Amino acid sequence: MRFLWISALKDLRRLAREPITVLTWLAIPTFLVIILTLVFGPRGAGPHGTLLIADQDGGTGGSLLTRSFSQGSLGKMLTVEKVAEAEGRRRMDRGEASALLIIPAGFTTGFLQSKPVTLALVRNPAQRIIPDIIEETLAMATESVSSPGNLMRRPTIELNPTIIPDKDEQPGGFAAILLPGALFMAIFFLAGALAADVWRERTSGSLRRIATTPASMGAFLGGKVLAAALVFAVIGAFGLLVAQSMMDLRVANFPLAILWIAASGCGLYLIIMPLQSLASSERVAALLTNFVTLPLVMLGGGFVPFEWMPRSLANIGRWTPNGWSVMQLRGILAGSLKPLTFAGIAVFLAAAWLINVRTIRRAAC
Amino acid sequence: MIEVEKLRRKYGDLTAVEDVSFSAQSGEIFGLLGPNGAGKTTTIGCISSLLAPTSGRVRVNGHDVVDDGIAARRSLGVVPQDVALYEDLSAKENLAYWGGAQGLRGSKLHERISAVLELTGLQDRAKEPVKRFSGGMKRRLNFACGIVHQPKVLLLDEPTVGVDPQSRVRLMELVREQVRGGTCVLYTTHYMEEAETLCDRIGIIDHGRIIAQGTLQELRAMVGERDLLRLTGVFEPEAVRVSLSRMDGVEVMHADEALLSLSVSDASHRLPAIFAALNSHGEVRGTTLTQPSLESLFIKLTGKELRE
Repeated sequence: MRFLWISALKDLRRLAREPITVLTWLAIPTFLVIILTLVFGPRGAGPHGTLLIADQDGGTGGSLLTRSFSQGSLGKMLTVEKVAEAEGRRRMDRGEASALLIIPAGFTTGFLQSKPVTLALVRNPAQRIIPDIIEETLAMATESVSSPGNLMRRPTIELNPTIIPDKDEQPGGFAAILLPGALFMAIFFLAGALAADVWRERTSGSLRRIATTPASMGAFLGGKVLAAALVFAVIGAFGLLVAQSMMDLRVANFPLAILWIAASGCGLYLIIMPLQSLASSERVAALLTNFVTLPLVMLGGGFVPFEWMPRSLANIGRWTPNGWSVMQLRGILAGSLKPLTFAGIAVFLAAAWLINVRTIRRAAC
Repeated sequence: MIEVEKLRRKYGDLTAVEDVSFSAQSGEIFGLLGPNGAGKTTTIGCISSLLAPTSGRVRVNGHDVVDDGIAARRSLGVVPQDVALYEDLSAKENLAYWGGAQGLRGSKLHERISAVLELTGLQDRAKEPVKRFSGGMKRRLNFACGIVHQPKVLLLDEPTVGVDPQSRVRLMELVREQVRGGTCVLYTTHYMEEAETLCDRIGIIDHGRIIAQGTLQELRAMVGERDLLRLTGVFEPEAVRVSLSRMDGVEVMHADEALLSLSVSDASHRLPAIFAALNSHGEVRGTTLTQPSLESLFIKLTGKELRE
């Protein structure tokens, strides 16, 4: 047991002698949060875009429709600008807005007389979320005014409406959707970098040498896992703190979130380690690690949140090791903790540790 | 202290070590001399319980390395061929780690770290990262890490490979100091001179088998008082054998188209006669005459040089 601490201390000391590496690791979550903030807004309240409205009607119907985009949470998400159609199309061509809504002349009259009217919505093809929200809002608005007693006919919208999930249903908003995946992407890559140290131990001969001492290989590995857990905890805490300050991320239970990041980070570390310890060369070890890590990161919500993935892929992704970890972290951030989650990771870590003791012993010989 | 009985180790179809037996006692240096790939490191691997023997028995300080591995390893210090150190850590931190791995702790550990740093002349550089050390200093620290816990049995696997002559002499002196303290040393090397000057008893290993063992005197006696004459050139091996076998005091140990190895009594006086005998069966282009040594014994036993 004592050698476990000695082994952990040795690895932490070695890490401390590489300040550039440590700073790079700290920079990864910081950059991720900065990028997410730049994309989705400075306080992490969600996406923001510009809606151009060319109101050729000028009547009450057009004004009501325009106002519906400026109210409530939609008003925070959208900057609504009234423009002439030609100017609106020019700005859309330049990609300056998320969408252009054209309200035709006679819209109010047609609306009141229950005659069919057509609203035209021009979407910015380079964006997805904001145009989707605008389109959905438009569909809901026309639905609500046309339903009661069929007093009015529904205006027809030129585009087929696309339904996207209601972002307000996700506790914590966009930060809670995006950050766990991004954070675990960083943790996964970090786990790969830390596991590569086993290869260095192999080539230097220190792994072989430790096998000739009375110290147990289990304690040696335990020390490495302990040191890695501390690194994951520090990086996780740093990432969450940055996200809290820059993206208004809500963290229901900070210590538990850190504990989860450290524990599941160790799980990822122990998944990668056999690839490193049994590979025939350092290059093969790096290739195998990338071969496993990259698809898992992509499927596991690292690059794209599950909500934006095709349903079938998202279903697979949620059951990848990192995807499952992401989902549990989301739950912990939102304040819903399942005790079985920690029991599950404890069982996994114990099993993975046993397997790794065997593979490391084999690598040592 | 070390008892190896009929040790056999196979890697799949390849037999790396076959029927190896030897023993070494406290205060003794047993040298395992052989060319690269002869089976020295495999033998050390089995003694240090890195490798499980396919058959045979190995005991270290009375403990079987298979049945009682931890107790055996407690008595053991290993100085591997690689410089197995953490280059980011200082000399002191490395010693603390390897001492900790051997179960040392507290004041005893600090005492031993100071002692081995002084012994290896590294006390002034104790706090520097190892990556700033010269090759010789790393070798000395590698040695220090193997003796920090004062092992009863010390295994040295070619500890002087790639070491400059000064550091080599220093390392060999360090080994002698351990032996003076009663440590049993198993020293593997392919440097004949090292084995001759350092070891009390020597086992010569080739192709996984010990082909001769004994004290230096015993091994030299196996060669006899004859000189070793090596001739290079172009020869007719069979004709040469017939021709030279008629000469008194000349024994053909090896003959092929390019090399002749002869064991010759008083070789300097017989050289003209040997050249005359070879004149009609080949052309001599190079001649090397050596006194009886382990090298000549190795050539006598295997027909090739130790470094081939």
